[in-house]
Amino acid sequence: MNAGAYGTPQPRQPVQQMAYICAACGSENTIKPREPIRCQDCGHRIMYKKRTRRMVQFEAR
Amino acid sequence: MVSATKDLKQGDHPAKDGFEPLLNETFAGKHLTDPIPEIKDKWKLLPAFLKVKGLVKQHIDSFNYFVNIDLKKIVKANQRVTSDVDPHFFLKYCDIYVGIPERTDADAANQPYTPHECRLRDLTYSANIYVDIEYVRGRTIVRRKKVAIGRLPIMLRSQQCILTGKSEAELAKLTECPLDPGGYFVVKGVEKVILVQEQLSKNRIIVEMDKKNNVMASVQSSTHERKSKTAIIVKHDRIYLKHNSISEDVPIVVAMKAMGVQSDKEIAQLICGNDHDLLDLFSINIEEASKLKIYTQKQALDFIGSKVKVNRKISGPRRPWADEALEVLATVVLAHIPVENLNFREKSIYAAMMVRRVLQAVNHQVEVDDRDYVGNKRLELAGQLLSLLFEDLFKKFNSDLKLNIDKVLKKVNRTQEFDVHNQIILHGDHITSGFIRAISTGNWVLKRFKMDRAGITHVLSRLSYISALGMMTRIASQFEKTRKVSGPRALQPSQWGMLCTSDTPEGEACGLVKNLALMTHITTDNEESPIRNLVFVLGVEDVNMLTGAELYQPNVFVVFLNGSILGITRRAEKFVHDFRRMRRAGRVSEFVSIFINDHQRTINLSSDGGRICRPLIIVENRKPRVTQQHINDLIAEKLTFEDFLKKGLVEYLDVNEESDSNIATYEPDIIPESTHLEIEPFTILGAVAGLIPYPHHNQSPRNTYQCAMGKQAIGAIAYNQLNRIDTLLYLMVYPQQPMVKTKTIELIGYDKLPAGQNATVAVMSYSGYDIEDALVLNKSGLDRGFGRCQVMRKYATMVKQYPNGTHDRLVDPPQPDSELWNSTYAALDADGIASPAEPLESGSIYINKQVPSNTNAELGVGSGVQNITYKGAPMRYKSPQTGYVDKVLLTTTESDQTLIKVLVRQTRRPELGDKFSSRHGQKGVCGIIVQQEDMPFTDLGVTPDIIMNPHGFPSRMTVGKMIELLAGKAGVLAGKLQYGTAFGGSKVADMSQILIENGFSYSGKDYVTSGITGEPLSAYIFFGPIYYQKLKHMVMDKMHARARGPRATLTRQPTEGRSRDGGLRLGEMERDCLIGYGASMLLLERLMISSDAFEIHVCEECGLIGYAGWCQFCKSSKKMKSMQIPYAAKLLFQELMSMNICTRLMLDDAL
Repeated sequence: MNAGAYGTPQPRQPVQQMAYICAACGSENTIKPREPIRCQDCGHRIMYKKRTRRMVQFEAR
Repeated sequence: MVSATKDLKQGDHPAKDGFEPLLNETFAGKHLTDPIPEIKDKWKLLPAFLKVKGLVKQHIDSFNYFVNIDLKKIVKANQRVTSDVDPHFFLKYCDIYVGIPERTDADAANQPYTPHECRLRDLTYSANIYVDIEYVRGRTIVRRKKVAIGRLPIMLRSQQCILTGKSEAELAKLTECPLDPGGYFVVKGVEKVILVQEQLSKNRIIVEMDKKNNVMASVQSSTHERKSKTAIIVKHDRIYLKHNSISEDVPIVVAMKAMGVQSDKEIAQLICGNDHDLLDLFSINIEEASKLKIYTQKQALDFIGSKVKVNRKISGPRRPWADEALEVLATVVLAHIPVENLNFREKSIYAAMMVRRVLQAVNHQVEVDDRDYVGNKRLELAGQLLSLLFEDLFKKFNSDLKLNIDKVLKKVNRTQEFDVHNQIILHGDHITSGFIRAISTGNWVLKRFKMDRAGITHVLSRLSYISALGMMTRIASQFEKTRKVSGPRALQPSQWGMLCTSDTPEGEACGLVKNLALMTHITTDNEESPIRNLVFVLGVEDVNMLTGAELYQPNVFVVFLNGSILGITRRAEKFVHDFRRMRRAGRVSEFVSIFINDHQRTINLSSDGGRICRPLIIVENRKPRVTQQHINDLIAEKLTFEDFLKKGLVEYLDVNEESDSNIATYEPDIIPESTHLEIEPFTILGAVAGLIPYPHHNQSPRNTYQCAMGKQAIGAIAYNQLNRIDTLLYLMVYPQQPMVKTKTIELIGYDKLPAGQNATVAVMSYSGYDIEDALVLNKSGLDRGFGRCQVMRKYATMVKQYPNGTHDRLVDPPQPDSELWNSTYAALDADGIASPAEPLESGSIYINKQVPSNTNAELGVGSGVQNITYKGAPMRYKSPQTGYVDKVLLTTTESDQTLIKVLVRQTRRPELGDKFSSRHGQKGVCGIIVQQEDMPFTDLGVTPDIIMNPHGFPSRMTVGKMIELLAGKAGVLAGKLQYGTAFGGSKVADMSQILIENGFSYSGKDYVTSGITGEPLSAYIFFGPIYYQKLKHMVMDKMHARARGPRATLTRQPTEGRSRDGGLRLGEMERDCLIGYGASMLLLERLMISSDAFEIHVCEECGLIGYAGWCQFCKSSKKMKSMQIPYAAKLLFQELMSMNICTRLMLDDAL
């Protein structure tokens, strides 16, 4: 949420806004730091983070 | 009947006398000697009962009673708030009621919220308490409705709760489990249970021996205003009245005279009747009073008044002693007996009765009472505890309000007209915070009753469904655990059917913590006055019109209602019979109990709350009143349990009345004296013990062990288990319902939320890794998913804002190509939180949080955001096993702070040392995991999942486990689930028959070939399915070793405990062994070198510690020696020095 915490050695591209899913209606929302979490559509106050887009390999044992 | 018909058969009767059918061989297809058919499926009453009462319902009933009735009573008693300043002002509470649970923030779109949202957001599931008020504003009286005065935490599934009355589908929408019992609170996101508290009943006389082996009768009076204890004691063969508010024991005759019974003869008659033995014993007391020269009421009152402890504030002139004594006697002594207009008649008779009971016990006419008898106990539930709390909070609320009102009214000219409504609204959250504090800490502190109890509430254990359910039926005792008396811990015959006989913890709380049986209900208070009226209508003579002579006539029974005397009756049997008929007809509440005490010649009626009771079938004329037709109607859902009560087929008996009844266990056992029939015998066990198949074949402690272990079994927790974010959650991957179930299992829903798997077990020895209860596990079985479980752990953090304007922040990880990057950042996303499904290795960061380095000082003006420095506070995952992020939840709490919860999941397969248990108290750890190829196999090619050593059986005598195997095997072969219900269940003979029919040995033993040699084993092996539970104790969470590691700062010794990577202590006993063996160098190494060795420099001259080469005391460098001592020893010397004690070291050459 806050870029450049490591002394910013090189200029970095701005971090794109993360999307979160509302627990009640399922719509996508963005969260800004220091602002109450609240769904734009339904007003629900619980958000879940989306599943990672990286590949995950499980070891089946 | 039978003999009569025989006569008829023999006699030569003329034709056509109407008795012809009796002459026939059969009547309606039945022989004369055929057994009378029993009622089938009588147990169906049990699910019908559980629908309306039982298990958790008592908590809910009690809470509902509090909200609907107690709350209103409390408010009515504290209705008016007045002002000392303005006599015209008043505030009156007209009504009080509780709304439905709603959010606190007013701008929310949908006001009601769900318990699950509260769990996730760390909120309190509470509803507003509203009052209707009437008050003076200026010169008018204003009425206002629905004024909120605070918030009350709402019990789940109570009347107020939004889950009540919802269907399964509706509950699923609210992410709530339909099997969840409710009865608990959600406070700050934590599920809290108010345990049932057991205590001695109030307002009842208990005669017992005191410490000096003297008889005493005591009574704990408890009314809404006052709690006090009054005792009648024997001291030097004389009888005294003892009470806390009177500094000295009062001779009983003096006390009686003070209560207005002036004549000695009347006193003697009230106490002894015409019994000369008792009179002889009592006469000395009369002498004593005359020795004290006390003859009149005035003299007696003066005597007592001089001894009364005056604890009121000194205000106004001192009152005469007699008045003081009169007030104490009227209101404090025996406070539960009302004294109206100074009519002491009832109280003096009551006191006389107590004295009589003492005399009788002294004279050995009767035994002293048993305070462990369950009938003398009362159970205090959530509702009662909350009502005590609310009363206190409400009084405080009102007195604070009054202070505020006085403060405002004192001002002569106010800017605006005074309106109390604004005061109430702005009055703070005293009531709300009072409830939340009490429930979340479990400390009930009430100054008025000098009550300070800790540990009233507990966190609801969610280890398994059973552990949660078991917690709801638990009863905590008020006795201290340290006392060395066995009485309160022992199994009481009177707990039959009321308290579970098996379910109690082992160790210090053994027998003190109890559990309710399956079919119990705990009563709530019932109104007394209708019962009082009914009693007098039924012919009881009022006690106020009687003298001692009539009171103690033979065949006269004294009638008590809730411990206070109502009157007498001369026809006890008829009275009791009539009263019971009225109750069965529904004229009085079904929870009013009545019983005869023949020893004391009393009839006792109880309508108070907290009695344990259970339903029984009424038997009349040797026939149960419930017939097959009724049961059929019940099954067809034409009747409910309530109808059975209304029709007088079934009634509730409390412990006292149960002891006064003749209850047949089975229908054929009914004898002419029988009054009741047991609904089902297996209900003497509770919900947890009900899981055990064939418990009646087990040694009793084994069932107790299983009760403890059943709560640790990993399984399904609730239907919403995957939506929950609990601190720690154990889930089984493939739970199965048991092959051998019990009726209890079906009733409580364990078959829907099971915790275990049906393992194929071979009872044989294998490999030697199975000694001492170790189990051999089949590796292929583990691959197929046997015993596999998931461990979900919550890691939570708040993104805080500080008073100085700074705030925590979440930081994105460094770029992967930068120097700062390392693999611990791998799981992080751009927002500084790990995404779901990312693997976490040991040391991985999942929340990259930073906190401002200065959170206290005010930021200077002009210093911008740039100047704030942050230090890293990343949250790292620490576990040897890789975990996967399951869920990341972000939310805002009530205090507008951002809360982040990360749920991390591990999947574990059983490993060496994991703990398993069957349902018979037979626990064991995995000793070896064997390849399936090496496992023994039967002629069908079946290999076992578990091999259990047969040595587990002989000493433990868990025959139930063997029968479970047999029934399970038969069930598998027949494709059916078998029953192992207590005192019933599938019969062994039937099971053997099924085995034989399927080509197996009747004994359950199979021909088995060794997997290692390929030869047949030389014995047949007992082989079949047994339900096995995986317990939460897993090696991974316990395994710990260390060579070097962290040390404590103060002592420089290794830290303690696995969580701090601590050392393994070589304790005193181990030290003793090494001393005994003489391994001194080993000792030196263990206790100093490997621990806290420290080099010091000692001066040989003065013996004090100095610098290297310099003694500050001697101011010399001559005799400094260096040596090694434990740092703790050095610390001790220095600490002693700080206390002005000089420690000197005398040095000598070591050998």
